[in-house]
Amino acid sequence: MAVLQMKRISICALKKDRKPVLELLQRRGAIEVDSVLPEDSVFSHTDTSANRSIFQKNIAAAASALEILNQYAPEKKSMLASLEGREPKTNKDYDAFSQRYNAVMETVYEITALSRSIAENKSEIVKLEGQLEALGPWLGLDLSMRFKGTGKTSAFIGVLPGGMDLESVLEQLSQQNPQLPAVHVEIVSTSQNQTCVFVLCHKAGAAQVEEALRSIGFAQPSNPTKRSPAERKEELTGRVRRAEEEIEQAQKKIASFADQRADIQFAIDYFTLRLEKYAVIGELAQSKRAFVLTGYIPEKKANTLKSELEKRFDLSVEISDCDPSVDSPIMLKNNAFSAPVEGVLESFGLPGRGEVDPCSIMSIFYYVLFGLMLSDAAYGLLMVIGCGFALLKFKNMEPGMRKTLQMFFYCGISTAFWGFMFGSFFGDLIQVVATTFFGRPDVTLGPIWFEPVKEPMRMLVFSMLMGIIHLFTGLAMKAYQYAKQKAWLDILYDVGFWYMLLVGLIVFGLSTEMLPGILQLSFILPSTAGTVGIIAAGVGAVGIILTAGRESRNPFKRLLKGAYGLYGVTSYLSDVLSYSRLLALGLATGVIATVINSMGSMMGGGIGGAIVFILIFLVGHTLNMAINLLGAYVHTNRLQFVEFFGKFYEGGGRQFQPFAVHTKYYNIKEETYNG
Amino acid sequence: MDNLGIVFALLGAVLAALMAGIGSAIGVGMGGEAAAGVCTDDPSKFGKVLILQLLPGTQGIYGLLIAFITLSQIGILGGSGDISLAKGLLYLAGCLPMAFVGYWSALKQAKSAVSGISLVSKRPDQSGKAIIFAAMVETYAILALLVSILAITGIGGLNI
Repeated sequence: MAVLQMKRISICALKKDRKPVLELLQRRGAIEVDSVLPEDSVFSHTDTSANRSIFQKNIAAAASALEILNQYAPEKKSMLASLEGREPKTNKDYDAFSQRYNAVMETVYEITALSRSIAENKSEIVKLEGQLEALGPWLGLDLSMRFKGTGKTSAFIGVLPGGMDLESVLEQLSQQNPQLPAVHVEIVSTSQNQTCVFVLCHKAGAAQVEEALRSIGFAQPSNPTKRSPAERKEELTGRVRRAEEEIEQAQKKIASFADQRADIQFAIDYFTLRLEKYAVIGELAQSKRAFVLTGYIPEKKANTLKSELEKRFDLSVEISDCDPSVDSPIMLKNNAFSAPVEGVLESFGLPGRGEVDPCSIMSIFYYVLFGLMLSDAAYGLLMVIGCGFALLKFKNMEPGMRKTLQMFFYCGISTAFWGFMFGSFFGDLIQVVATTFFGRPDVTLGPIWFEPVKEPMRMLVFSMLMGIIHLFTGLAMKAYQYAKQKAWLDILYDVGFWYMLLVGLIVFGLSTEMLPGILQLSFILPSTAGTVGIIAAGVGAVGIILTAGRESRNPFKRLLKGAYGLYGVTSYLSDVLSYSRLLALGLATGVIATVINSMGSMMGGGIGGAIVFILIFLVGHTLNMAINLLGAYVHTNRLQFVEFFGKFYEGGGRQFQPFAVHTKYYNIKEETYNG
Repeated sequence: MDNLGIVFALLGAVLAALMAGIGSAIGVGMGGEAAAGVCTDDPSKFGKVLILQLLPGTQGIYGLLIAFITLSQIGILGGSGDISLAKGLLYLAGCLPMAFVGYWSALKQAKSAVSGISLVSKRPDQSGKAIIFAAMVETYAILALLVSILAITGIGGLNI
């Protein structure tokens, strides 16, 4: 249970050492940099936005090239790839890469250019195909479409509306102009909407013919080709083929860069690193020959870093205590058992000022409550095996993923434990299989403790007892927090009186006949205990009324606030009842598993029955496990966040965000520097 | 008239499964629409919004649970099925909390889950809180489940 103690660090070094110092700091990842020094005549901040925008542009270009590459040469990824984490690289790889990132960027730009040419060729093909389609009706014509006639004749090539044959064309023409000179009409093609015609006449009558043609709707084609349509078609098809070839070549070329995928990914990481470094440079106070870096550092890393820096460079490092009036960033440190629930805590909020890190206490309850809700031995064992296998197999897993899996590993152990306690192994699988397939209804997996389905009241009482323990622990945490702040009286006011009231009420309740009757308890406390209980509760209640409003000076207001504080006792009732979800969710898992088993066994014994059983078993239990895992996860979180944290914890701390190596594809590992 | 006991008891079981199931189906559907919207922008949020989408799905399971316990108590899943009218009505009453609370809590939880999904789309780091907001609604479904379970398992022992 710890929030790491933070220190302020300020480093003053020579500007010529800026690059190696910053690179060292980035690799150590121990300092959260902030700029608190004001600018003056000596020190000023450098504007690095120009460099940063170049890096950002490069990152964007590389990312889009990577996307294109993945499109044409998909990366093979296994199902469990997300567990594998990033491949480790050494600083040497990084240094080597910084020599050749220009070459990689050229590849990046080439891929982008190729992708652009593919897009251009694709739109070219669409255009050409449109032209080919328009050419279709003219294929019967063996002249250029721009043919205007010979020395003595005039030719008209064009389209008439509607489908017509030769006779109707001639008929319509002569209707328009009965004195029409002799014309020769050829139908090139005809369709429902249009008729393509070739009309030839003597040059002398050209004007009359043209007028007659126009009046029956003749129109010249929009862009007539110079060569004959057939030749034109060949040319167009050739161009389409060429464009297709170019596309194919470009695709092959892009795919041939597949072996450089790693380099492109590295480039993204490389520029991300430099981007972060330049962001820090922007925060530095710099003079002509020196620079000053200030920030937060966890206490336990401070001295190692200081001596390392002083050994390697000429600089001065000062470490001082944090200003208690300013919120310092929060970094959690827990042992292997409790660290996995840090992620859950982070999703609620890190400890605020004056609050303790509740992870170690919370982890115990988290695992226990989770196990009670899922409470099936087989599901628990599956979780343990699955998570354990993944944790052992994938060494490079991201820390966040590792923590989550560890959390489910411990939750699995607890689930298996409670499963055996309540006699549930895939529900009543053992009994069903023994009865259906082996005719042995006497073989069962009995509960070590009791079966909640048969004794729901007993389970309910147990759930509420867990709730009371959880809530009282929350109150104790509050006392611990006050104790750390040395607010001794507050412990009595806000915790002591509540304990007296609540414990007193419970003891009194158990000494009456009603409460044990409802809860089906086998004992009743003696009436003297009840009297003591009610007196303690009374003292507690009076104490709460007098002190809960102690921040108000006005005595009347103070009493009112105190009475309102006492009203908070109702929230304890609803909080305790809220733990009945332990029973409800636990029953849900068991009963649905039972439903699945009995559905599976409906076909009876024998080979056919066994096949049906296995199928239903696999599908049903996978579903049941998934849905109940989700339920247990969500409701364990809820019990922690609402009931438990409600007693003492608000959160609101700021995460420690060190200046470090934040890469996406590769884990640039620290080697040990020996000078 | 005496035979009607089993009819009412079955009606109760069916109502629990029906109403809670319908509520959950609508609720999960609403969540799915919102979640798909978020994933068009950022597919990497799939895991987070999926949890939120599934939250209103539990009521349907609770309904199934009550239906199943009732079915096995009244002897439809192997047994005599000989139930007095009074007991049949008691079973019906016992199933009602799950049926009604299941239906409406699933709808309300779905609305809160949809809002949670839009929260996650803007601030993915706050998904824990979004889940809690939606899970608060579920408390009442769980309380109803509890009352229904206690009632149904208790009725068998009554001597009427």
